[in-house]
Order: sequence, then structure tokens, then C-alpha cells
Amino acid sequence: MPGDPSLSIIPRDPKFRGLRDYMISFFGLDRPQWEQFVIYLQRLFTLDWGVSYQDHRPVADILFHDLGWTLLLVGTSTIITILIGIAVGAYSAVRRGKAFDFVSTGIGIFLYGMPIFWLGLVLQSAFRKNSVFQTWIPGWPALPTSGYYDDRLIPWNWDIVHLADAGLHLLLPALTLSLGTLAGISLVMRNSLIDVMTEDFVTTARAKGLSPRQVLRRHILPNGLPPMVSLIALDIAFILGGAYQVEVIFRYQGIGFRTIEAIGSLDYPLLQFIIVIGGVAVVLANLLSDFLLLWLDPRIKIS
Amino acid sequence: MGTVDVVKVPGAISPFRARATVVSRRMQDIGLQVFHNKTAMAGLIILLFFTFLAVAAPLIAPYSPLTAVPDVGPLTLPGGVHPFGTNQFGYDIYSQVIWGTQISLLVGVLAAGVASVIGTAVGLISGFVGGWIDEVIMRFNDVVLSIPWLVLMIVVAARLNYLDLAGIILVIGLTGWSVTARVVRSQVLSLKERMFVERGRMIGSSNAHILLRHIFPNAFPLIFANTILTVAISILSESVLAFLNLSVKSNVSWGRIIAEAYQHDALTIGMAAWIIVPGLCIVFLVFGFYLFGYALDEILNPRLRRR
Amino acid sequence: MPALLEVRDLTIEFRTKAGIVHAVEGASFNVERGEAMGLAGESGCGKTTTALALMRLLPYNGRIVRGSISFEGRDLVPVPEDSMRAIRWKEMSIVFQGAMNSLNPVQRVGRQIAEPIMLHEEAEPEASFKRAGDLLELVGISRNRLNDYPHEFSGGMRQRVMIAMALACNPKLVIADEPVTALDVMIQAQILDLLERLRRELHLAMILISHDLSVLADTCEQVTIMYAGKTMESGKTMDLFTDPKHPYTQGLVGAFPDIRGPRNMPEAIPGDVPSLISPPSGCVFHPRCKFAFDRCTKAEPALTELSVGRRAACFLYPQVTEVPPRPIVITEV
Repeated sequence: MPGDPSLSIIPRDPKFRGLRDYMISFFGLDRPQWEQFVIYLQRLFTLDWGVSYQDHRPVADILFHDLGWTLLLVGTSTIITILIGIAVGAYSAVRRGKAFDFVSTGIGIFLYGMPIFWLGLVLQSAFRKNSVFQTWIPGWPALPTSGYYDDRLIPWNWDIVHLADAGLHLLLPALTLSLGTLAGISLVMRNSLIDVMTEDFVTTARAKGLSPRQVLRRHILPNGLPPMVSLIALDIAFILGGAYQVEVIFRYQGIGFRTIEAIGSLDYPLLQFIIVIGGVAVVLANLLSDFLLLWLDPRIKIS
Repeated sequence: MGTVDVVKVPGAISPFRARATVVSRRMQDIGLQVFHNKTAMAGLIILLFFTFLAVAAPLIAPYSPLTAVPDVGPLTLPGGVHPFGTNQFGYDIYSQVIWGTQISLLVGVLAAGVASVIGTAVGLISGFVGGWIDEVIMRFNDVVLSIPWLVLMIVVAARLNYLDLAGIILVIGLTGWSVTARVVRSQVLSLKERMFVERGRMIGSSNAHILLRHIFPNAFPLIFANTILTVAISILSESVLAFLNLSVKSNVSWGRIIAEAYQHDALTIGMAAWIIVPGLCIVFLVFGFYLFGYALDEILNPRLRRR
Repeated sequence: MPALLEVRDLTIEFRTKAGIVHAVEGASFNVERGEAMGLAGESGCGKTTTALALMRLLPYNGRIVRGSISFEGRDLVPVPEDSMRAIRWKEMSIVFQGAMNSLNPVQRVGRQIAEPIMLHEEAEPEASFKRAGDLLELVGISRNRLNDYPHEFSGGMRQRVMIAMALACNPKLVIADEPVTALDVMIQAQILDLLERLRRELHLAMILISHDLSVLADTCEQVTIMYAGKTMESGKTMDLFTDPKHPYTQGLVGAFPDIRGPRNMPEAIPGDVPSLISPPSGCVFHPRCKFAFDRCTKAEPALTELSVGRRAACFLYPQVTEVPPRPIVITEV
């Protein structure tokens, strides 16, 4: 990898020479790259995940703290996205070709093409203190635009004040991430449901005298969900990418924010572990989706 | 190929001529459908507009994007000859936005080209050869697909250590081929089942011949539609990298303009256009590619057409 | 007492991008209580569309333009959708073609059979499931299989499940749309026997739709032959097969080899079913008819009674009249 991390840790000054040499051998930077890699792998499996160049704290400590906040953000917005996405997708599938379908699909494609970081900036400017809207529209809210919770409330405490404030701080980031990932879900939901609607058993259900709502809930949705589940699992990588951007924009110090910082300071132990965590997250998401599918679709058997 | 004597029937057109006619008729047919499809036309108009901006940038843009304007200083508020103001170095933002079209389009199209070539090759081989090779390729594809793309891109960007225009195109292209590979593979699998491949086998065609002469031309329209969609994604990727200061440093791109605006708190100093306009450009360009790509996909993909 | 089902001049159109498809035009037939009526014709001639229209289940782009569907004397065409839902399955049910997709793949069959019982008879779940088990046994499947999913059954078994489901609310009429297509011959015979037995035991009326005349021959009292959305001929099954009047019927009957007769190659009807977007002028069958003459290309023959219970639409018979030119209806675009 490029750059000499030791330079970013210790100033290039002769009087720090000894310290620098010590640091280099402490982090193993004097060994060949392949050897460093083997050592890393060894340590990975012995749960020794290295020490950050920057913070000099074990990377696991740093990242598990960040991970909690990232999970809160990603979890909240994924739940919002799935609920709204499924509702919008289902409704436009039912009203295919009608105004609602046309408008929601149009907005969907539009949102789909929106860079998440830019969406975050726009929302931030719309809801910050003294925003243009606040001067025009009385009662326009101002929402917190950075951090996990108000600095004045540090340190964190598990009480209602902190929780409420954290919730308030979560609003905009979660909204941004939801809007950014919503379109993908609702568009695929729509197409998947339209596919299901052409199946014969839907006609059977209608012939039974079920109302459109009953047909949708009992017959169409249960068949449209399995493809959605695998899609959302595949989308986790995309959602994480979005979360990174949101965290940077809102200075929400989760994994993504840490990644960008780590790139800036060439903090490789941290970066490597972030990639490992990302991979683990995706594997876990896929595992979870496989279990969900097993429960949703009786045709799938454990083989 | 073996030696197959072509029996000449007087008055019959050669099979090659017949094929050419079929293909050109198919293209004409597709062209006509695109022309009558409102979604496709809307997308095409947006794309033509931005292509015009990119090509004619030297003529339209009043100033150079990377030279300070003579009349006013840095961070001038919008107005007069500088409709969006000037940036921290005193460059005209309006001109920057117009010039930025070039990079976004160029990176988008070329990166999608790289991704499509790799994806198509992988998909063709994986789908056609099948067996354990297919299995290995698809598992590898799963892994590529499952790594958070931004991290992957950042790692590749850091690895290449070479982020000029070619570098950024390679980074986006190398990380963006797995969806194409999947689409092409499934298309190949279904084409393989079709009659004419069987027929090709029977008259003694080699695998390469079947792949290049029968399967590829039939899969091409779908690959093309998919490439258009990949362009949209590549444009978005470039903007994200540019925003994170990981993209081309020597040229202006929309993502970079937004990044600079963000760093200089454009919104608080009354220069909202500095952020809003390049963002809208990205949104509309990507929107144009999506509209065109989706419409094309719908025209070319009979399964979708039935809906 | 009126016939159970009286269809008069039923005309159905589909709006598609390519134009208006005249899927069914002027279909007329009766079904008496406990009687089986066969609906035959090549694929794409409007049989399934007719069946769906009877239950008012046309897809969103299809609509009934003209005509009436009288069920026990009540015209179903103007009935609002809400009241229609109460009639579906309770009064008439349908068994679709290809049992594979007619059952919901992610729901246990017991629930699918019990669903209309709970809906229409407001029965308790236990009572409904008990009845679902009885129905399964009625069609020859063990009630232990109530908790199985459709993919755990074979093709013929799935069709039995579908039939059990169709009987769930004791309907007066069962429409069976190609019930045995895609099943192998032995299973076909079993399913047809089952339908026939149930019809007699439960005194059901049945509309049996098939492209295969031999399927109809054994089961139906009456047969209606459709072609390109129009009714060509109708009458008692035996009469129709032994003495087909319409050249199209003659062609269909001739297309089936008679295993007892001399070993001739079955005679195929040359040509294809015409486009329903721009049907040929005059008699729709004239482009494929070997007897076609001048009048056939210009005027349309009306379905006319030739003898008691026997109707045909063909100018070969002197009593057949022309369809009066229909008033031009301006449909809103």
C-alpha cells in the first residue's frame, strides 16, 4: 500500500529517530509485506486485531464503539426503508399504470440517481438553524445536523434526556439514508409483485371472492417477499456504502466516518479491520436472509 | 470449422446476407420502438443535452474552469456575469459546472465500458462453459459483489496509487462488473438452450464460433441496455470518490465542485447554488441514463415486455 | 324456471398497445342445472376469456362491451364488484388450466381449501378445516395431507386438490378450464372420471373447456364450438360429432383419428386462427374454409337454429341469415 504510515505517526524530525525506529519495529513495518500479511492473518484468528497507528488503542475497541452507532443508523433506516418501500412498491404494483404508479416510479428513479452525500447536504441545509425555509415558513423545524448527541450532554448516560437527544440527532442521517436506499427497494418490490400478479393462483384467489386487499395480503405479498429478502441482503453492501457517505456528511462518528479518517491518516490496521467487518456484515446479512427465506418459502429445503 | 460445402441455390441469398438483413431489420425495429417510447425519448433528450454541454464546453463556458477570473476575487456571491459566484480560488463556478460535464460523462461511459467488457467476458465464459469453472467464477463474483463497494473502491484506489483520469476509470470499472457478469450469464444460459445453438453444433461449429457468432450477437442488445445502466452507477461512483477527495485532481468534476463547496460552507455563506447546481446536474444526467436504460431494457427484454 | 346460466350476445374486448382485440363476439349459450356443457375450439379463440368473463374476472384491460350473463335469472354484467365477490366461488367456481400455478405455492393446501369456506360461510376455522379434509377425501386424497404444500403433490394430485377447492362452497356451477391439459393420458382419464362422478353425485352444472374434442365427447351433453371469438355451432354432443354441420366443426372432428375406423391420416385444417385485432370481413372462418363462396367474404352468418337444439352459423344452410349490421358504437378513447 502506498505511503509510509510511520511518517504520519511521528514527525520527520531527527530527534524522534529512536522513537520512530521503535514504532516501526513495534508495528512490524520493517518486515517484508507478505510477512506482515501472514502475521496479520495469524493475529486475525487469535482475536488480536492490531493497534491503531493513530489512536494507539486496539482497533477492536475503537471499532466496536463505532459499530454500535453505525448499526443504530443502518438498522433504523433499513427498517424504515423496508416498511415504506414495501408499502409504496405494493401500492404502485396494484395501481399499475395509474397516476400513483407513474409518480412514485418517477420519483423512485429520480431518488435512485441521487448521490447520497448530496441528498444529505441538501437535507442538512433545509433543516439547519436559520435555514432559508425557516425564514419563509413559520414553524419550519430545525434539526441537529451533526454528531450522535449534543456535545453539552457528554458523557453518555442511559437516561431519557440522552436517548431523546440521540433520537433527534438520528433523524436526519436516518432520513437521508432511507431516502437514498428506498427507491431500490420499492422499484424492485413493484416489479416483483407485478410478476406475481400474473400468476394463475392470483386469479384463483380473486375467483374465490377475496377482496383486492385480501388477495394482496394473503396471496401476492407472501410470494413477492422471498425475492425481496435476498435482494435486501445483496443490497447490504450498497446500504453500507450509503451509510459511509451519510456519516461523513453528518459527522456521525461510526465506521464510515472512521474509514475516511483512517484513509487520511493511512491507519492500515484500522482500515484492514474495517474491511473485515464489512465482509462479516455482508456474510451475516446473507446468512440471515437464507434463514428468513427458509421460513418464508416452503419450497426451499436445507440441502 | 470443418469443410462444409455450401450448396448454392440459384436465386437464394447467402446465409450471411440473410443474417445481415435480419440483424439490420432487428436494429431498425428497435430504433423505431425507441422512437415511439416516451420514456426512452425523454432519457435520450436529457443525454443529448448533456453530451452537447460536454462537447461544446469550450464554446459555451465563458471562463476557463481552472483559472481565476480577472474581474472579481474568490468566494464572490452569485450575480451578474458569475451566475453561481466564484469559488475559493476565484474560479467561475458556472464555467466549472459546464466543464465538469466532460469528466462525469467521460468517466461514466469509459468506466462502464471497462465494467461491461469484463462483465461480459466473465458472464459469457461462465455461462457457456458451465461446470466447475462456472461455479468458481460465480462464487468469486459473489465475494466481489458482497464487499461494500465504497470500501472496495477506496482500497483499489489506494492500491493503484495513480489517480489520474485512467486510474479513476479503472477503479470504477474494476469494481463494477459483477452485476453485468450475472446478467450476461443468465442470458447465455437461456440462449444456450435455444434451437439455433443446437443447430450450430450439428453442422460442426466450434465453441468459439457459437459463442461469438450466435450467442454474443443475440445477447448484445441486453448487454448494451445493461451498460447504459452501469454508466449511471459509474457516474454516481465518480461523484462519491470526488466528494471524498479520491478522484482526479487535475480536472474539474461535479463531485469535486460539491466537495469544495462543502468544505467552504457554501450554504452558510449564501452560495447554495455552488452545491445545488452540480448536484442537480448529477441527478439529471443519471436520471437520463436510467430512463433510457430502463426503456431499452423493457424493449429488448421480452419477459419484461409481457408485463 | 330460467336456465341456470344463459349467456346472450356476450362481447369482450381487450385494449392493447397494438389495438383493440375483439376476443369474444356475440357468444350465446345455455347451461341447465346439473348439465355439462363443453366449450371447444383451437387455442386463442376466446374460450378462457369467456370463462373469466362469466365470473367477471377479466384482466384490467379487458371489458364486457355487450351482452348479458344471466345466472338464475339475474344478469351478472351490471352487478357491482362488491356484490360480485359474494357470488364468486359460492355460486360458481373455476378450475384452471395447469394445476401447477393455480395453487399458491407458499400456502398449505388445507388453508387454501378452507379459505373460501371461512370467507363465504363465515365458518369457524376448525369446522372449515374439517370440511377441507372431507373434500380432500372426496377427491381421493388422504386428509393427512392438509398440511402439505402444493409442490409436495404430483400434477394429477394438484388438480384433484384444485377440484376439491372448487367444491368447497357447494357451488351450482363449476367451470373447468382445460382441467386435464398437461397431464398424462392415464391421469387425464382419472380426473375426467372424478369430475363426471362428482357432477352426478352433487348435481353440479359444469362448463368444460378444452381444445381436445375427445375430452368433451364422454362428459358433456351439449357442446359449443368457438372460433376466433365467435360461436360457430352448438348442439347435443352426439349429434354434433356424428353429423357436424359447420365446416369448422367438420374440420375439428376430422382432425381426430378414429381408432376404430380406417387408418387415415387425420386431416388438418390449413391456416391459423386470424388476428383478433383486425378479423377478416364476413365469416371469420372463410379464409380457411374449403367451401367458402362469395357471400362468406362479404356478410357474416348469424347463429341460426337448424333443428331443435342445433344451431350453426354458416351460409351453406339456406335458413342461415346474415347478422344485421351492428350500429356503430362510438367508444370513448
